Amino acid sequence: MNAATMMGLLISVIEFGTLLYLAALGETIAERAGVLNLGVEGMMAMGGMTAFWVGVETGNPWAALLAAIVVGGLFAMIHGIVSVVLGADQVVSGLALTIFGLGLSAFLGRDLIVERPNAVFEPVNLGPLSDIPFAGETIFSMTAVSWIAIFCGIATRFIFTRTRAGLALRAVGESAATADAAGQSVVKIRLIAVAIGGFFAGASGAFLTIVLAPGWTEGTTAGRGWIAVALVIFGAWKPGRVLVGSLLFGGLIALEPRLQTFGVEISPILISMLPFLLTIVVLVLFSIRSRNRPSVAPAAIGLAYRREER
Amino acid sequence: MFGIRLARRERRIPGGQTLAIALGLVIALILGALLLAFTGHSPVEVYAEMFDSALGSRRGWSATLTRAVPLGLAGLAVAVAGSMGMWNIGAEGQIIAGAIGAAWVARLGPDLPGFALIPLMLIGSVIGGGFLALGPAWARSRLGVNEIITTLMLNEVAIRIVRFLVNGPWKDPEGNNFPVAPELPDQAALPILFERAHIGIIIAAVVVIGFGIWSARSKWGYELRIAGSSAQAAEYVGISLRTKVFTVLLLSGAIAGLAGGIELTGNSARIVEGVANGFGFAGIIVAALALMRPSGVAAVAVAFGAVQIGGEAIQTTGVPPSISNVLQALILFGALTAAVFTEYRFVRPSRSNASVEVATA
Repeated sequence: MNAATMMGLLISVIEFGTLLYLAALGETIAERAGVLNLGVEGMMAMGGMTAFWVGVETGNPWAALLAAIVVGGLFAMIHGIVSVVLGADQVVSGLALTIFGLGLSAFLGRDLIVERPNAVFEPVNLGPLSDIPFAGETIFSMTAVSWIAIFCGIATRFIFTRTRAGLALRAVGESAATADAAGQSVVKIRLIAVAIGGFFAGASGAFLTIVLAPGWTEGTTAGRGWIAVALVIFGAWKPGRVLVGSLLFGGLIALEPRLQTFGVEISPILISMLPFLLTIVVLVLFSIRSRNRPSVAPAAIGLAYRREER
Repeated sequence: MFGIRLARRERRIPGGQTLAIALGLVIALILGALLLAFTGHSPVEVYAEMFDSALGSRRGWSATLTRAVPLGLAGLAVAVAGSMGMWNIGAEGQIIAGAIGAAWVARLGPDLPGFALIPLMLIGSVIGGGFLALGPAWARSRLGVNEIITTLMLNEVAIRIVRFLVNGPWKDPEGNNFPVAPELPDQAALPILFERAHIGIIIAAVVVIGFGIWSARSKWGYELRIAGSSAQAAEYVGISLRTKVFTVLLLSGAIAGLAGGIELTGNSARIVEGVANGFGFAGIIVAALALMRPSGVAAVAVAFGAVQIGGEAIQTTGVPPSISNVLQALILFGALTAAVFTEYRFVRPSRSNASVEVATA
């Protein structure tokens, strides 16, 4: 294995890691507030289609990213209104959001397939850091989106653990009735968390169609939204651990096309099952562990809250 | 919000869910029409064409009913678990596993006559679907592991297993390098009833309606409903929750597997990556709209079959077929919204304590 192969692999790990982390971080925030959103794949597809479209029209990657974030948030609000305000089942609503997002992005984006990418995120120039051999061409040549993702992860951790807003959000996700009794608006906090989840899923879609694989075709999200859902569990609903998981699962995706180069005889398709199998293993371990300790998952996840049924 | 509050009705409107679905359909058609008009299509023409292709002829009905088979069986699979308060999100993967099971049987006994091969293939599909549900059933019943996530993860695993098979061990050497398995033997095709409709329709109808009657009348079904409404009550009267959870999830997977077997023997000559085609996910919507009742599942499955067939038929007129996915999701969102108003009523804010605030955001 030579330096160029290694460099290519590392760049790919960072890119797939960013893609997964953006979506998974958003889902972490929603789930910590007690809202499971299985619509990640659909929000990603809508964000990706929107970003590519705006990118083609404007040539401005930031406009593309912003548009995707807005669309992701709007899509998330469908889930928010149906499952949080109206109290419908989160599982059904989220899955319908995925079907809706995949369908609508395919419908509206059909003519985009022939378009050529027009908006490009350049690597951030970090001056002397960018001149370091190897590191300068990999870690220190990341696009701004990857840096933003890391920053958002740190900020989320800080907000979760050090601020009143984060405490309120977690309280709503652990016990909505208790948080309500303490004067928090359960519906408002959950809606905000779901919207933030949508912003991140939209951004993840934009990263996919602008940076990682410039272009748009139906099915381009290829199940990455489901990996993001898996990552939240794998990372135990903690922003830091989800980041580690994103790099690990991103690494597995990056390895798939390179296995043969490394002389590994296993089919890359079998490797691509690992994120899902590992998540099941982790979930089983959590269950065994939480037999005589509090559960790792937010206690109120998946439960609609209606004050009268408290 | 808006100075109006929602209060729970003392009892639900009779036929409320039917009303909610009808309203959902109207909402979906209106929003869909806006989308079509916005993208330069004539909503009236598109809807007329969809209706005509799906329900306007014998041929249309044969396609619609055939499509209702995987949707109805997947819907029943979800409903079986749902009547006990569990979510089998893995129907998509279990359909794939069922198709793999059926294809495996055909590979083992390609020279068997049809009357033996087809039933064996369907048994293979039931075992395949059940096999994929085995892990989640065990983990949920023994360790309390959330079945939503485990079944969801196994969808993605099943998709990759079939991808692996058609790209590797099962790849057709004469398939021009396409990722497809070899064609099944001719006698493996389900007998045709009329036009495109095969006897899978009868099998599915018997399974869905039969299960509905059986679960309504048997001790097993009665225990299922008790366990679904209150775990404590179930334990109190001596129902083993563990066994119940395990068997129900396994049964759910087996029914979804049957959908895969019928899809393979009825509609496709060979196994391909897209064999499940989103039927498992659509089945979740079908079951949710049917409120987990088998009779409702059958009716909603036919309606969704018509939407899907109509959506596929209008491709030729230049409308993307994904319009049917958009419409299906909108029907669900519309019906979920409408259902709130069959359970709740509007009240003007008053100082009385009789109306309890529900949504104040």
